[in-house]
Amino acid sequence: MGRTSVEWGQKPPFPETHYVDSLVYTDEGIFEEEKQKIFAKTWMLACHESELPEANDYRTYHHPAGVNLILVHGEDDEVRAFYNVCPHRGNTILYSPSGNAKRMTCIFHAWSFDYQGNCVGLPREKAGYCSDGECSITRGDLGLREVRTQVGYGGFVYVNLDDECDPLEEHIGSALDTIIEQIDTEPLEVFSYHRAVVDTNYKLWHDTNSEFYHDYLHVHNRLTSMKQEGYFDRKMIPFPNGHAEVGSQEVHYEAYEGGKGRAEAGFPGVEGNPWSLIDLFPGYSYNLRASVLRVDSQIPLGPNKTIVEYRSLGLKSDTEDQRNQRIQDNLVIWGPFGRNLHEDLLAVDGQGRAIPNGSRYVLHGREEDSTIHDEVGMRHFYAEWSRRMGRLSSDPTSETEAGKPARI
Amino acid sequence: MRSIMTATSKKEATDVTIDTATGRDLDTVVRDLIYRSCLRLDEGDFAGWIDLCAPEFGYRITAYSPEIRKEMVWLDHDREGMEGLFKMLPKHNSDHSPLTRHASVYTVEFDEARESASVITSLAVYRTQLDGGATSLFAVGKYFDTVTLEGEAPLLASRNVRLDTRELGIGSHLPL
Repeated sequence: MGRTSVEWGQKPPFPETHYVDSLVYTDEGIFEEEKQKIFAKTWMLACHESELPEANDYRTYHHPAGVNLILVHGEDDEVRAFYNVCPHRGNTILYSPSGNAKRMTCIFHAWSFDYQGNCVGLPREKAGYCSDGECSITRGDLGLREVRTQVGYGGFVYVNLDDECDPLEEHIGSALDTIIEQIDTEPLEVFSYHRAVVDTNYKLWHDTNSEFYHDYLHVHNRLTSMKQEGYFDRKMIPFPNGHAEVGSQEVHYEAYEGGKGRAEAGFPGVEGNPWSLIDLFPGYSYNLRASVLRVDSQIPLGPNKTIVEYRSLGLKSDTEDQRNQRIQDNLVIWGPFGRNLHEDLLAVDGQGRAIPNGSRYVLHGREEDSTIHDEVGMRHFYAEWSRRMGRLSSDPTSETEAGKPARI
Repeated sequence: MRSIMTATSKKEATDVTIDTATGRDLDTVVRDLIYRSCLRLDEGDFAGWIDLCAPEFGYRITAYSPEIRKEMVWLDHDREGMEGLFKMLPKHNSDHSPLTRHASVYTVEFDEARESASVITSLAVYRTQLDGGATSLFAVGKYFDTVTLEGEAPLLASRNVRLDTRELGIGSHLPL
């Protein structure tokens, strides 16, 4: 029997940790607050070191707090990050997503900068800023804004806009210990990259990566995992700072039409076809399926719009055969034409259509002794979210700077 | 074996190979094959599409990523693999918004023996929402096809769907 509007608006019969108010996915004020309290204060995964193989290679990155960055592989082998903004008149310095620039030169007035962010070129400098030997400003005053940067955990480049932030190691903690041998024994390399712009909230994508109850969505997973021995023994393991791991299981890829095992091209320490997934707060996932490491990173654009970046990686030392095997394994379920990824995106796209248009609460109430269909991973995420935001995800209705959250 | 004869076109002073089975020139027959392959996918006639593929058929969707500065492969199957993909489609949860292909064959180049042709086709794919029927551009790119002319009818020996579009929203379970 359907529910009345009063019944629909009643809080679910769970502890407040076991559901969230849909406003956390839809409210503009809450999203703006997330940018300040979470995105601008947390380590964000910007790219991978293999995207910057040579000195003076660069990548651009749109930071979720709303800042465009440049990531540069310096001539001293350090990777640094800077605002992609010329300090002169605010123009974009680098337009291409990648390239190599010994001098990063703004097209507007030809100011140029080196890999350390120093201003090293300023046309007609003395004519404009110096008189009788006195200069009103020097190049030392005109460097780029640098951003805290660390490379690690599989060679990923992490950035943090907060100059006073704790080291990356304190944020990650031991969350990636399960796969650290696989990802940190030898250099990795990205072999596939794409992004999906989806009308949904970034947390919903992260939620999907954090719960496996939705394996019912995927015929591939039902055949290769859910119907196989050990599936319901997998444990969800929470870590400090909102991270969570899904315990591994041997996957039987041959159970799907045309499928076969992945052992021929593994990672260090991998035997057989294990599958490990670790979700990092606030929106990153390391997903290792024997021969391919897929890493998701999100760039939220609004309460109901996010970019999800997908990187698939193998070993830099791959032979041609090994790399081809990883490419084949990757495209079966991942990539824009993969069997699973399309299904996951279809679901969060559906949430993006529905939640702003009638949803009141979203339930995270399954308890199964922290095994695979337990929704503890999402509960753990929202506990951290609530702590950082200073408002409960189940009752986020206190006023934001932008005003009181609007409810339909 | 289909017999062919060669005539000389006075207007262009080039050889035109006539398909005696249809009475049409081979260039037209090859173009028809490309267009028919689009129509069959548009109609969801996957068995009919497979019928246009030679036994040695290979299908790929590829793109270049300027972000990682690498060539990428996003779908890669032989004929049997494509049959398996179609067989499993009903068991998957897929977006059922129809895709419509708009193709323009740019070039058809025959080998010396006129047993195969290399074809480049411009491709635009549109997606029409089931709810409301709004149409938007899904992807642009090109088909790079090899067509075999050795049998009774021309068949696709290989197809590389080379995409310029890399941001594909929620993606697709269908070949383009």
